[in-house]
Amino acid sequence: MTVSTAKEDHLRLENIGVSFGSVNVIPSLDLSVRKGEMVAFLGPSGCGKTTTLRMIAGLITPSHGRIHVGGRDITALPIHDRDMGMVFQSYALFPHMDVSRNVQFGLKMRNLAAGEIAARTKAALDMVQLGHLAGRKPKELSGGQQQRVALARALVIQPSILLLDEPLSNLDAKLRDEMRVQIRALQQASGITAVFVTHDQVEALSMCDRIVVMRNGRVEQFGTPTEIYEKPATAFVANFVGRTNRLKGTVDAQGNLSAAGQQLTSSAKLEPGKVEVLVRPHRIAMQPAGAGKAAEGGNLVQGEIASVTFIGDLVQYGVRVGGDEIMIEEATRRCAPPFAAGDTVSLAWSAGDTLIYPDKDQ
Amino acid sequence: MNAAAETAPRTWRSGELAIVLLLPIALINAIGFILPVLNLARYSFNQSTAGGGIADVFTWENWTGLLRDPFYLELIFNSVWISLAITLTTLVVSYPIALYLHRSTGSWKTFLTVLVISPLLTSAVVRTYGWIALLTDNGPVLSFLRYVGLPAPSLMFNIKGVFIGLTEILMPYMILALMAGFGRLDPRVEEAARTLGATPSRTFWKIILPLTLPGIALGCLLCFVLAVSSFITPKLMGGGRVFLLATEIYDQAIVTLNWPLASTLSILVLIVFGAALWAYSVVLRRLD
Repeated sequence: MTVSTAKEDHLRLENIGVSFGSVNVIPSLDLSVRKGEMVAFLGPSGCGKTTTLRMIAGLITPSHGRIHVGGRDITALPIHDRDMGMVFQSYALFPHMDVSRNVQFGLKMRNLAAGEIAARTKAALDMVQLGHLAGRKPKELSGGQQQRVALARALVIQPSILLLDEPLSNLDAKLRDEMRVQIRALQQASGITAVFVTHDQVEALSMCDRIVVMRNGRVEQFGTPTEIYEKPATAFVANFVGRTNRLKGTVDAQGNLSAAGQQLTSSAKLEPGKVEVLVRPHRIAMQPAGAGKAAEGGNLVQGEIASVTFIGDLVQYGVRVGGDEIMIEEATRRCAPPFAAGDTVSLAWSAGDTLIYPDKDQ
Repeated sequence: MNAAAETAPRTWRSGELAIVLLLPIALINAIGFILPVLNLARYSFNQSTAGGGIADVFTWENWTGLLRDPFYLELIFNSVWISLAITLTTLVVSYPIALYLHRSTGSWKTFLTVLVISPLLTSAVVRTYGWIALLTDNGPVLSFLRYVGLPAPSLMFNIKGVFIGLTEILMPYMILALMAGFGRLDPRVEEAARTLGATPSRTFWKIILPLTLPGIALGCLLCFVLAVSSFITPKLMGGGRVFLLATEIYDQAIVTLNWPLASTLSILVLIVFGAALWAYSVVLRRLD
């Protein structure tokens, strides 16, 4: 590691790992988060994302490895000296204190002057538009308001890192969309480095600069939302982030790819053997049979529509091709779906949209 | 039979149903508690006659005599004061145990809870004799203190022994009451305080203690009431030399056969309990 990247990295996990009893939850993790960046830990439940976050906060002691923040080793530092602002899934507001005393708490623990505490508390509450509710107790607030108090309480101490543990999962869908925008705006305005734990790919893709996709305590891929979505490193990432069609295929000795009884093309490097072929549903263009044309070097297959599912903004078609069913998504443009079950259609997609992974189940 | 089946089933309105369901317990309470207490109150205004009789005349002299007699004033004051001190001591020694129990999980928690409750399965008499055996002048505790060269004050037949015995006997009640009141204690809230820069001790004073106040209030109310009304332990460990309200009531009722005075003291105890209950409700309202 060169000096220049070490300077740029604000948070660095080095060979960090933890076991609970005989269960090796996280074998070994290496990660760097840059200053001012918002990074998502994304993965299914039990993948170790919350455990990693709690190790950064100091709430879990790692079995091995080091944690560095701003070039300083904080592995042995007690929780209260770590200077982390954490937002809990359940918000964990102090039920016996009103909103303003909740927000003040971290400042009081830092023994700041009364005037500064008052000014910063007011600024933090105004920032989340809750100045008018300063005297309320947490139980008198709605879920969204509690969430904003938790955010103000974590940000008011101007922590070196903001840690968010599934902060949106207890909100209803509409509020979640609002808070997503608001959290991201606050994070960018304050330029704070943030780590965001979520199992929701939409949150990760829309809010974060980079995403760590985790599985069984290991990093599957670490990259920007576009990289994660467009160039998933593994079949797991492709499946977990966004919807995808998953076909069993083979590559013969000449490098010819076939799946679902069709000859296919892919811009991926092809090694002879069994493979998994993944294609995103909305990257497939569907036309009446015979009308479809393959792009240069692209794929064109014929199939029969087996199912039509109307979701509102999308229509999902299940199209039988060979022995497999391929899902296609089209944005709704008319009131009625233009295709019906039983129609024969042709499907076209480019070689670049054909993702190839070695088949691990063989 | 047929006619009965044809009539529509009687539907109870919820108010009626509540009255019907509450009636048995209300009756038992009226006969077993309210009537005897009213009777006791009536005795306290009667006159005691020589030989343990009761003259059915109305008089204030039990009450006025009680409140003018320095012996009884000191007895009341001592009883309340000692009970408060015992309650506080019980709280201090029980709180860490209750907190530990609240945080432990699984079969370890079950085991510990059984361990806490198990003293309640033996009677207070047996446990008091256990303490007498331990604290007596030639018992293991004093022998040990003498052996290591520490002062070994006599712990039997004085208030020190009663204090120690009652504290231990009341601990299970205090622990159970504390645990019942620890519901608001969310480990995430403690973690939030820690991440915000609170040291473990500040987390305790600012977060854990305030959140457990309902449990503390409940445990203190319960133990105070039990301490004031405790009789066996002060009687046996006090050896007749420790004078508290409950033992005095026993002496007046059984030994001196002055039932009107015993009744007056009993009502006084009820008034003390009423005051404790009022204090508890005030504390709870402030906490909410």
